[in-house]
Amino acid sequence: MRRPPLLRNALTVIGLIVLACFVLAALLAPTLSPHDPLATALAENLRPPSAGHPLGTDQLGRDLLSRILHGARLSLTVGLVVVSLAGVAGIVTGLAAGFWGGLLDDVLMRLTDVFLAFPSLILAMAIAAALGPSLFNVMVAIAAVTWPIYARLTRGQVLALRERPFIEAARAIGVPNSRLLGRHLLPNVISPLLVQASFDLGSAILAAAGLSFIGFGAQPPTPEWGVMISEGRNYIATQWWLSTFPALAILLVVTGFNLLGDGLRDLLDPRTRRGWE
Amino acid sequence: MRRSQLYLLALGLLIALIVSSCAPAAPAAPAPAEGGAAPAAAQPAAAAPAEAATTLVYATDTSDLISLDPAVVYEFTGVLIAENIYDTLVKFEGDNLSELKPSLAEHWEIAADGDMWKITFHLDPDARFASGNPVTAADVVYSFSRVLDLNKSPAFLLADIPQLKKENMTAVDERTVELKIPNTASPQALLSILTFSVGGIVEKAVVEQHVEGDDLGSTWLRDHSAGSAPYVLERWEPEQQVVLTANPNYWGPAPKLSQIIIRHIAESSNQQFALESGDIDVARNLTPEQVEALSNNPDITIYRANTLLLIYVGMNVKQEPLDKPQVREAIRWAIDYKAIVDNLLRGGAKVHQTIIPEGLFGAVDNNPFQKDVEKAKALLAEAGVPDGFSIEMLIPTGPAPGGTDWSNIAAAIQSDLAAVGIQVTIKQTTQAELLNIYRAQSGQLVLILWGPDFPDPDGNVGPFTDYSQRVIAFRNNWDNPELAARARAAALEADPTKRSALYAELIETVLHEGPYAVLYQPGVVFGLRKNVQGLLWNPMGTIEFANVSK
Amino acid sequence: MKFGRFVLRRLIGIFFVLLGVTLATFTLAHVIPADPIAAALGPNAREAQIEQMRREYGLDRPLPEQYLRYLSHLVRGDLGRSIRTRRPVADDLRDFFPATLELSLAALAIALLLGVPAGVLAAVRKDSLIDHATRLFALLGGSLPIFWLGLVLIGIFYSKLRLMPGPGRIDQFVEPPLRLTGLYVIDSLASGNWAALRSSLAHLVLPAITLGWYSTAVIARMTRATMLEEMGKDYLRTARAKGLAERSVVVGHALRNAWIPTITVIGLAFGSLLSGAVLTETVFGWPGLGRYATAAAVSLDFPAVMGVTLLAATVYPLVNLAVDLIYHYLDPRVRLG
Repeated sequence: MRRPPLLRNALTVIGLIVLACFVLAALLAPTLSPHDPLATALAENLRPPSAGHPLGTDQLGRDLLSRILHGARLSLTVGLVVVSLAGVAGIVTGLAAGFWGGLLDDVLMRLTDVFLAFPSLILAMAIAAALGPSLFNVMVAIAAVTWPIYARLTRGQVLALRERPFIEAARAIGVPNSRLLGRHLLPNVISPLLVQASFDLGSAILAAAGLSFIGFGAQPPTPEWGVMISEGRNYIATQWWLSTFPALAILLVVTGFNLLGDGLRDLLDPRTRRGWE
Repeated sequence: MRRSQLYLLALGLLIALIVSSCAPAAPAAPAPAEGGAAPAAAQPAAAAPAEAATTLVYATDTSDLISLDPAVVYEFTGVLIAENIYDTLVKFEGDNLSELKPSLAEHWEIAADGDMWKITFHLDPDARFASGNPVTAADVVYSFSRVLDLNKSPAFLLADIPQLKKENMTAVDERTVELKIPNTASPQALLSILTFSVGGIVEKAVVEQHVEGDDLGSTWLRDHSAGSAPYVLERWEPEQQVVLTANPNYWGPAPKLSQIIIRHIAESSNQQFALESGDIDVARNLTPEQVEALSNNPDITIYRANTLLLIYVGMNVKQEPLDKPQVREAIRWAIDYKAIVDNLLRGGAKVHQTIIPEGLFGAVDNNPFQKDVEKAKALLAEAGVPDGFSIEMLIPTGPAPGGTDWSNIAAAIQSDLAAVGIQVTIKQTTQAELLNIYRAQSGQLVLILWGPDFPDPDGNVGPFTDYSQRVIAFRNNWDNPELAARARAAALEADPTKRSALYAELIETVLHEGPYAVLYQPGVVFGLRKNVQGLLWNPMGTIEFANVSK
Repeated sequence: MKFGRFVLRRLIGIFFVLLGVTLATFTLAHVIPADPIAAALGPNAREAQIEQMRREYGLDRPLPEQYLRYLSHLVRGDLGRSIRTRRPVADDLRDFFPATLELSLAALAIALLLGVPAGVLAAVRKDSLIDHATRLFALLGGSLPIFWLGLVLIGIFYSKLRLMPGPGRIDQFVEPPLRLTGLYVIDSLASGNWAALRSSLAHLVLPAITLGWYSTAVIARMTRATMLEEMGKDYLRTARAKGLAERSVVVGHALRNAWIPTITVIGLAFGSLLSGAVLTETVFGWPGLGRYATAAAVSLDFPAVMGVTLLAATVYPLVNLAVDLIYHYLDPRVRLG
């Protein structure tokens, strides 16, 4: 029996396994955590990994493993919310721009240019600062810098497909525009977007962690991975695990998404295969 | 062929350059610096070993530094530096905040003059600016007038509190200055304000040469100095360092160290590394855990000193059920102060529950509250909310004075209040946003700090009790005119015994009726290289670098 | 499309984008419910002070008027006054931009010097250990939080091993070189100040590695991919058939064509470098724009935030334009526009 196409590449399999662990950890965090991630126990702070605390404890005595598991939950949310917001905004914009063209297209594309002109973290920081420090605001901010890509991709696909015979045929029969967009164009536009989404799920987590690190996103005592790295920064020389384990968690998860993205790209559009032949 | 060789060559060159530059050009340890630990003795670097021995490197977070013009300076770093480049008429010495000592003014008299107080200062005839010119009364009047005219952050210290006006400042002769203030203001308050950087005397002739438009020389004074103190400003590289060098024309005993570098290192971990390696001599922002780790290091001394700051929870009296005094008292009995101070702050603070901090006149050692769940619950029942209630607590982001994050203190309070049935939702915003909400009287519970603007008890009691001052009492909607009147009377009372009695009564009233739960008074802790001597921290936030030696 | 027209069209496009950027940041800045003036003056400030400062900064006027005033100042090069530092934003930018530029260029240099050879080697020795190692590094390079990497590098190389200097651009006892460009390396070379040159280079190493990490990974990947593509091409088969040594085939022909697309990556890398600078500068105490932008964002200093975003939004498209032009120059088959 042949393996399904996605699983043929060993690296993609590894990525999927990592992500499966991540999602499981996120979903089952309360069950898997040996301790309450917010419970402080000052007498037991800054302990190295041991039997009772497999990843050690932080400066307030909280169990690092439990915090990392709960952090997985937060990171998964961040990734999904960002990609959903960005995706919806981008797809709608791209469909409109590509389908109707003309002035609407120009205006919308200039709009994406404006957003793309900013270095992403600086714009995200400005938005997060304006809205206030919270994880949700950070998600909005990151979505705001991510959506232009989806608009561009969607528009490109729509432009490519617009003149295809099957669209012409549907139009000739008299299919209304809404159905044309929803039933005929959209499904064919999805593939590059899925690839992009895989990568963005990872990069959103990385960006959110960065913003939390400099103080804009989630705040202590939230067990978000970026916050944990920030809280551990003063202990890097002695209790290095405080910052390192969350960083490794980020590394694994983002790598998983990158591998998934690569695999999807190879699968869905072999013409653009690059790098991992 | 060609291209790859080019790559390799470039790579090799770069690596060679980097490796050679890694050879320390600066001494690794300041102590044996004269021994020339630096192998690379290129011409400018040869100064480094000798320099290090007579230079104090003081590391802190200087991102609050805006200007070094004494009429503009109001932030911690600015005040610290400005008080080392500008002399004031009078000063406090070391960490003593009650006894005024002469500085530029040799002696002074206070006399009644109609409905005003007249304070006459006689300048020391030896006093000279760094330029060599004598310090004259005209310079004093010019300096104070600038403060009032520029009307920047510290201006209210002269304009509002002692109600000093330009027409009431006179240069009687070359060396005599007369200041007149209405008799509703306190001359003692004025004198203690004048010890602050806002009372720094600038050289009129020099500043007037650098006036641009109507800035009164402020742009130039931002990063140049025209003072008479033991140090002059050599240069300020924003976000990097401020360099002070010894004033060659100083009119008093020469400072022991020829150069002071105030270096900007924002990360505590970087400060610790730099202190351990000897790159810096003083680290200002260490966490309690870092302090514990460093106390075993034979090259490092730990120096603890007091501040006049108070960390407190403000309760908005218009927010139900905080309007009931029993509820406020219940909150005070629910918090575990000792746990916060012992476990979170670890020696970085003292429990202090009254509104006059230790170190100021009128302070008392009365800290009756400790965690008593039964008592708190009883009080809540008395107030009609036996099952507790929900409330929001606003806190700033980042670290709190004393050595832990605001969020950690908040988490402790949240958990303490939960034990008596009060559900606290923590809302964290940037300090900027928090101040706005607080000022608009829109906070419910607010966790924040307060420091007096001048070392007089009225610097705290006024704001905490007087609604009309539109500071703390105002922000918490606590309008008690009778109490405010008592506070004003105490501010003006000249007899120390009577004054201290008045303040004791005021403190007691606020302790049990006020909308505040004062948590602790933070100290400061410095990490010093062992050879640093004479560093003394004044609780108002200054250090006389002239007395420091290595 | 003709060269001149292409450039003109792009520049016009950039202009409109910038206009959009000013509108966007202006709107953003005034969406804030909080009051930056009161915040800047601190908790003890009196009301009269706050009012005065608000008037000084023109914040008591209606919004559209403020926007138009901002634009009219902008064309004269006046970016307004920072609420936090009280200085003209243009002055602040002039002070801090060179530091970030120097760091970014150093990061880019490291990315090219390490990434390109790595990619070439990986392609030439496909499926070998080197290839797998490079691919692994490239994979991890894009997933590692660089702020953590910076912390670790400082912890190991500065604190534990004492091999590298600590935070800052230059040693505290070395006087910064005479300011020409603001880039310490160039200025020290220009004025022959060898101590400053060595010190600033040493201080650049760790931050540049941290900042350049992501770009190195991207460039390695890109180089490997384009090399592989080139090496499979027909003209190289001909070269091999003619009997040319593999090395000459690779370096002489493939590389010459393969590294051109790498140039486009440089343009994209610049954007990620400016973003990464925010994190790197925080960790290393580097006095650049990233730190300035962070401090401005925290204190709601919107003139400064606008200034930084405008600068970034100008530099980034210009760099991309330059990259596109260079690409076209090197490979005229690539169509402009």
